[in-house]
Amino acid sequence: MSRAYYWMVVPAFVLFFLLHTVPVLQGFYYSLTDYPGYGEHAFVGIRNYVNLFKDDRVLEAYLFTFQFAIVATILTNVIALAVAVGLNARIRFQTALRGIYFIPNVLAILIVGYIFNYLFANSVPAIFGGTNLLADPDLAWIGIVIVAVWQAVAFNIVIYLAGLQTIPEDLHEAAMIDGAGRWRRFWSVVFPLIAPFFTVNMVLSAKNFLQVFDHIVALTNGGPGSATTSVSLLIYTGGFQGGEYAYQTANAIVYFVIIVLVSIFQLRILQRREVTM
Amino acid sequence: MLRRLAAPLTLCLVMAGCAGDSRVTLDFFQFKPEATETFDKLIAAFEREHPNIRVVQNHVPNAETAIRARLVRGDVPDVLALSGNSVFGELAEAGVFRDFSGYAGRQAINPAVQKVLDDLGTYRRGEVNGLPMCTAANPILYNKAIFDQHGVQPPKTWDELIAAAKRFQAAGVTPFYLTLKDAWTALPTFNSLAANLAPPDFFAGRTADRTTFAQAYPDVARRLAELFQYGQPDRFSRGYDEGNREFAQGKSAMYLQGTFAIPAIREAEPDFEIGAFTPMERLVTGVDVVITMPREPRRPRESQLFVDYLMSPEVIRAYTREQVSIPSLKDAESDDPTLQPLMPYYAAGKVTGYPDHHIPLAVGLERLVQQFLIDGDQRELLAELDSEWDKVMERRS
Amino acid sequence: MRRNWWLTALMAAGSLTVLVPLYFTVVTALKTPEELAGAGFDLPRNPAWGNFAEAWELTNYPQAALNSALITVGAVALTLLTNSLVAYAIARNFHRKLFKGLYFYFVSALFVPFPIIMLPVVKQTSLLGLDNQAGLILLYVVYGLAFNIFLYVGYIRSIPSSLEEAARVDGAGTWTVFWRVIFPLLAPMNATVGILTFLWAWNDFLLPLVVLSSPDAQTLPLVQYVFQSQFNTNHTVAFASYLMALAPVLLVYVFAQRWVISGVLRGSVKG
Repeated sequence: MSRAYYWMVVPAFVLFFLLHTVPVLQGFYYSLTDYPGYGEHAFVGIRNYVNLFKDDRVLEAYLFTFQFAIVATILTNVIALAVAVGLNARIRFQTALRGIYFIPNVLAILIVGYIFNYLFANSVPAIFGGTNLLADPDLAWIGIVIVAVWQAVAFNIVIYLAGLQTIPEDLHEAAMIDGAGRWRRFWSVVFPLIAPFFTVNMVLSAKNFLQVFDHIVALTNGGPGSATTSVSLLIYTGGFQGGEYAYQTANAIVYFVIIVLVSIFQLRILQRREVTM
Repeated sequence: MLRRLAAPLTLCLVMAGCAGDSRVTLDFFQFKPEATETFDKLIAAFEREHPNIRVVQNHVPNAETAIRARLVRGDVPDVLALSGNSVFGELAEAGVFRDFSGYAGRQAINPAVQKVLDDLGTYRRGEVNGLPMCTAANPILYNKAIFDQHGVQPPKTWDELIAAAKRFQAAGVTPFYLTLKDAWTALPTFNSLAANLAPPDFFAGRTADRTTFAQAYPDVARRLAELFQYGQPDRFSRGYDEGNREFAQGKSAMYLQGTFAIPAIREAEPDFEIGAFTPMERLVTGVDVVITMPREPRRPRESQLFVDYLMSPEVIRAYTREQVSIPSLKDAESDDPTLQPLMPYYAAGKVTGYPDHHIPLAVGLERLVQQFLIDGDQRELLAELDSEWDKVMERRS
Repeated sequence: MRRNWWLTALMAAGSLTVLVPLYFTVVTALKTPEELAGAGFDLPRNPAWGNFAEAWELTNYPQAALNSALITVGAVALTLLTNSLVAYAIARNFHRKLFKGLYFYFVSALFVPFPIIMLPVVKQTSLLGLDNQAGLILLYVVYGLAFNIFLYVGYIRSIPSSLEEAARVDGAGTWTVFWRVIFPLLAPMNATVGILTFLWAWNDFLLPLVVLSSPDAQTLPLVQYVFQSQFNTNHTVAFASYLMALAPVLLVYVFAQRWVISGVLRGSVKG
């Protein structure tokens, strides 16, 4: 084989190792120390990990993140699938509408968050009465779900559309001749065929929502109180602002393990279903 | 291949930043958004005196987070203006800042103020890791026009304060404009109450596990909640800058902010005079701005020149006049009309430091207080303060 | 073909959820602070174009836009040129353990959450003098490998090697074969990778926030964040600033809509 192939991959490998793998290893090492990010540090073994499990603030951040990710993933996929089916039907202005629905995907979440922040604080109460959703510790997470779903639906619609377009027209017609109703037709004919796309969307959305950060910085900054502090935000603010870098890095390692487990779990469940259907 | 490309690219980008400019650039990090313009003016004057130095002012949201991120980078700004709080103490203890104990410019500084700063933490005993530029106080600000209109005198006691709040409320005037979207805006009041109601040696006792927040802080929490009832309904939707503007527009009779908010309020051009009073025995005061530089400065000479300039009595006076704060100079007085009524507290020694400077940031005091003001669960607040304190101490040991 | 007008109306109504916030941004950016009261969906009486001038100045827009553009263009160009090359070497040697291992090595990075490496990266980039725009470009190119290798390898393996063999018979070396034969064939996947990289680099917040050290290097999303700490600025000016930050990518999208959507699509269907 040609030596050239090695020259093609070696620089990439070296850079990737240097800029990604080395930091991962360093991060792991620091999680076993009491390093505040600067100055001196000492090795403390697994103390940070032990303390993590005793910290109710960390536990609350995980609960919030999971609650948020589950609700947002389900809503995003339900809405995106519904819109995609609508866009795939015989409607006018199909291209234009598809173009509009996709817009949120190209916008920066941080800025979208600032705009919605203002809407929630001023316009929504002015129209519907009530107070600011984001100022209520029990409801603020809903505001974040709204913005996250608003943005994420755009991407998922396009994937479902691609799935729907793989379904041959005559399958629909055959089912219609059989006298199957709209719902039956959707569940027994359409959905099984787009199941792989459903899997992709579920896994990708869940992975992204579990790492939610920008939305929260722009909308609530983790508040009120610490009602909307996600794991990513806690790692960032606790590690930098609180000066507990090593401790929060241990948190990040645990978080990594959880994300991998969730992804594997999802793939297993969803793929098994694809097969049985 | 990438590396080969990256190096020249970096170089050209860095060069582009100061193309055709032979001046030394100083990175001046400052935490105080209200003071951006004042510092701009001071910097301009400095640059005129020192044509070979360019000072770039760097201010960001969440300065405490940003400065730690800079430290992680090993990239301490050339000159820093920080708040004299617990973060400053932690960083000083970690040996980030220069030792100014032999610095000649210290002669003019009020030793009592210097001590408040040094008590926050130093790298080695006897070191001086920062120079206090000015102090701020935590009174209650009020709208003199509204007070006159309703015939209310500035309250001298807690009961008078509550009576005044009730009177304004009955008259349809919002007693306090609250800005709890920014959690920290509850802290000035928290500090005034904690400094006057909790035992003075509380933090020593708490560290030694002789006392708890649950034992010593019920009164603080109760009064905090009592006072914050008298705010406008959308108090959790409004932030600090909105509060400054709304108070300036006469939307409330009083405003629970430190003196550092006065310049921002004045900038919104209120058509009334801002007054200040405290209903408490002692006035809470702290180092508002600390000037310091890295232990191992990259540009020692230029950084020192800028520090000398900022700490010169004329510049301190110019700064404090504009930013309505109290110079940290010996026998300094403020001639600002709003600050005048507070001066007797200084003269009589009835001033005390910020209690929250003893609480590590990792405890998350401001979030706990914000949560408490929403749900009113006093027992929960105190229990959380105790448990977070214990957890942070355990993680540190 | 019969068109379903009811459904069309429903879908159009649904699209308002996207359009209304954008409309709101535009009208708010054009108002004076006095006009802000109420719900804020009414048109400005007298468009306050001055908001844009003020936002331009406050955020130092030309500098931030230039930084964003430079970083984005640099990241896209270098990603296309390098990542495809690496993927080609891996795809054509996938039967070899070393290359297959390399493939999984790169792709597994997709699961590592950024917070783990955040602090070490911050340290490292500053140590290497990469805490600037060029460093950020390098990070996007290198971190992009994880997903892009995944996309490219799948695509390249579907290209029959008979084309390359023909070129080799003519005496072309591996490099020439890649640049002359394969790279042009990758056009659709290049579009996908280019668009995804563009959106990532242009809209990213956390990486520039922690990596860039000089205020002169800040990107458009970052200056919006910094904007939050400005005092006595009006919401109207803030909205003008948001709009100016969103405008470039919106414009690109309006003109290249079909491309963008199909590009993103190809990426996700492969994935």
